Amino acid sequence: MSEQAFRATKVEDFEEVKQRSLWLDALERLVRNKTAVFGLFVVSIIIFLAMFGSVLAPKDYLETFMRTDRDPSTVCGRAVCPHEGPSGEYWLGTDKVGRDILSRLMHGARTAVFAAAITIILGQAIGITMGAVSGYLRGIVDDVIMRIVDILYAFPDLLFAAFLSASLRTPIVEFMGNLKARTGWEILDETIIIDYIILFGALAMVNWSGTARLIRGQILSLREQDFIRAEIALGVPTWIIIRKHLVPNAIAPLVVGISSSVGGILLLESSLSFFGLGIQPPAASWGDMINTALPQWRLYPWEVLMPGLLLGIAVFGFNYLGDGLNDALNPRQIRR
Amino acid sequence: MFVFALRRIILFFPVLFAILFITFTFGFFAPGDPLEIQFGEDYVLDEEVLARLRNLYGLDRPFWVQFGDYVWKLAQGDMGEPLRVGRGKQSIGEMVWAAFPISAQIGVAAGFLLIFIGIPLGTLAASKQNTWIDYIIVTGSIMGNSIHVIVLAPLMMVISVIWLPDFLEQIFGITWNNKIPIGWHGLFSTRTIMPVSILVITGLLTTVRLTRAGVLEVIRQNYVRTARAKGLLETRVVSKHMLKNSLTPVLTSMGVTLSGLVTGAVFIERIFAIPGFAGMGINAFQSRDYPVILATTMIGASLIILANLLVDLGYGFLDPRVRYE
Repeated sequence: MSEQAFRATKVEDFEEVKQRSLWLDALERLVRNKTAVFGLFVVSIIIFLAMFGSVLAPKDYLETFMRTDRDPSTVCGRAVCPHEGPSGEYWLGTDKVGRDILSRLMHGARTAVFAAAITIILGQAIGITMGAVSGYLRGIVDDVIMRIVDILYAFPDLLFAAFLSASLRTPIVEFMGNLKARTGWEILDETIIIDYIILFGALAMVNWSGTARLIRGQILSLREQDFIRAEIALGVPTWIIIRKHLVPNAIAPLVVGISSSVGGILLLESSLSFFGLGIQPPAASWGDMINTALPQWRLYPWEVLMPGLLLGIAVFGFNYLGDGLNDALNPRQIRR
Repeated sequence: MFVFALRRIILFFPVLFAILFITFTFGFFAPGDPLEIQFGEDYVLDEEVLARLRNLYGLDRPFWVQFGDYVWKLAQGDMGEPLRVGRGKQSIGEMVWAAFPISAQIGVAAGFLLIFIGIPLGTLAASKQNTWIDYIIVTGSIMGNSIHVIVLAPLMMVISVIWLPDFLEQIFGITWNNKIPIGWHGLFSTRTIMPVSILVITGLLTTVRLTRAGVLEVIRQNYVRTARAKGLLETRVVSKHMLKNSLTPVLTSMGVTLSGLVTGAVFIERIFAIPGFAGMGINAFQSRDYPVILATTMIGASLIILANLLVDLGYGFLDPRVRYE
C-alpha cells in the first residue's frame, strides 16, 4: 500500500497538465464578452467592405451621374445632377458632382482599413521596440530615445502630420516618377497610391511616440518587481527578459492604446482632409467626403452625416473591441 | 528628484531647439512660396517686385543665415512680424497675446470638466463592472469619442438652432430665438457652452477608460479587501486606497489630453469662429506664414513638454517604486 502510494508520486504517473496559452485564454474571455463581440462584428463588417466593397458597390464610385435618360430641365436644369436625394437607383443619393454616395462609402472602407492597418503596424513596431529598449536599458540610451520621443511628442499631432504630408508630397511624387521611368510600372504613377504612401508615412510618424512612452512607463514600473529581479539574478539574457517577460506584461495597456489609436488614426485622417491634405478627391475616403460636404451642411446635412456616422460607427467598433481585448488580456480583473 | 527635475528643465532647451529647427527646415524646403501663396490668387507679380519683396522679408538669404537670424531674435524675445499683409500691423507677439488666453480658457475649462466628470464616472463604472451602469458609461463615452468634431458640431447646431426652437414652438408655443453660437464672448457667456461641451464629449473617453482600467486593476487586491474589512467607509476606501494607486495611467494621459484639447480646438475654433491660438496656427499653416507657424508650434510644444515633465514627476509622487536617478 505504502509502496503503491510512493509509486504514484513518480513524475511519469501524473497526467500532464495541459498548458493554456495567454492568447487562447484571452480569446475565450473575449467571446464571452457581449460588447467585445459587437465590436468584433462591426470591425469584421468594415474589413469585409474593405475587401469586397468594390465588387459589391452598385455603381462605379468615380462615375458622375448623368441624367441623359430624362429631360434635364425637369430634374435640376443641367445634365449632371448633384445633391440628389436618396432614390431607388441611388440608395443614399449623390454627392456634389453627382457620384453615388453608397458606392463611395464602400470604397472609403478600404482606405480606412488600409490607413489603420499599415499605420498601426509601422507605428507600433517602432514604438514598442523603442519603448522596451529605453525602459529596460535606461541610462544614455533611454535619454537619447526619450529626447527623440519628446520632440515628436511635443509637436502638435495635427500640425506635424500636416507638415509631413505637405512637404513630402513633391519629393515622393518625383521619386515615384523616376521609379516609373526606370521600371515602366504604370501603378507607381497613380495619384491614389502616392496619396496612400504620404498619408501612411505621416500618420505612422505621428503615432509611434505615444506607444514608446507608454511601454517605457510600464516597463519602468515592471522592472522593479521581484520576478524580473529573479530573472536578472539567474543570468537570463537581457533580450529574452524583454521579449518573454516585460513585453507580454506590458501588453494590456498597449492593447487599449492600439485600439484607441485605430479610432484616432481614422479621425486624424479626416482631420487632414479638413485642411485638404488627406486622400485627394477622385479617390474615396470618408474624411474627404465629410469635408467636401461640410460647407453646405445646412442644405444637405445627410451628405455630412452619412460618412460622418459611418466613420463614427467604425471608430466605435474599434473602441469596443479594444475595451474587450483589454478585459480579456488582463486576467486579474476577471476573477471576482 | 530635484536633480531629475533640474536635468529635465535643462534638457528642455535642446528639445525646443530641435523642434524649432525641424519646423524651420520644413518651412524652408516645403513647396509653396509664402509670397506667391499670399498674392498669387489676386495679383500677378513680376519677378522684380517678387525679388524686392523677398529681399524686404529677408527670404532671399541662405538657410543658415535665416535660421540664425530667427534664433537670435527669438532669444531677445522677438517673435518677428507675420508675413501676412493688410490685416493691421500686429506683431506676432501681440497676436499670440490676444489669441492665447482665449484658447487657454477653453482648454482649461474643458480639462477641469474632464477630470471632474471623467474620474468619478470611470470609478463608478469600475465598481459596478458588467452592470448596466458600466455599459451606459462606457458606451456613452465611446460614442462621444467616435464622432468627429466636424460632424458633431454641425449636428449639435442643427439640433439646437433649428430643431429645438421649432419643437418648442410647435409643442409648447414658446418662441425661443436661439442664435448660432458663433464668436468669442468670454468664458461665462452662453455661447461658450457648446464649444466647451463638444470638447468634453469628444475627450471624455480617455479619462473614463483609464480610470476604469486602473480601478479594476486594484479593486480586487488584498489591501483593498483589508481596508474594507477593517471597516473603512466606502468613500475612504475609494479615495485613499483605490484611486491613489490607480491614477498613474490617468495622470500620464493628461499630457496627451492637453495636446488633444489644443488640436481638437482647431476645429472648434474654425467652426465656431473663435479667434483662438489653435486656429491662428492653422490659418498660418494654410497661408504658409512661416514666422507665425514657428511661433505657434514653439509655444504649443513648450506647453506639451512642461506637461510631460509634470507627469514624470507625478509618477514618482504616486508610485514611490519608480526612482529617479
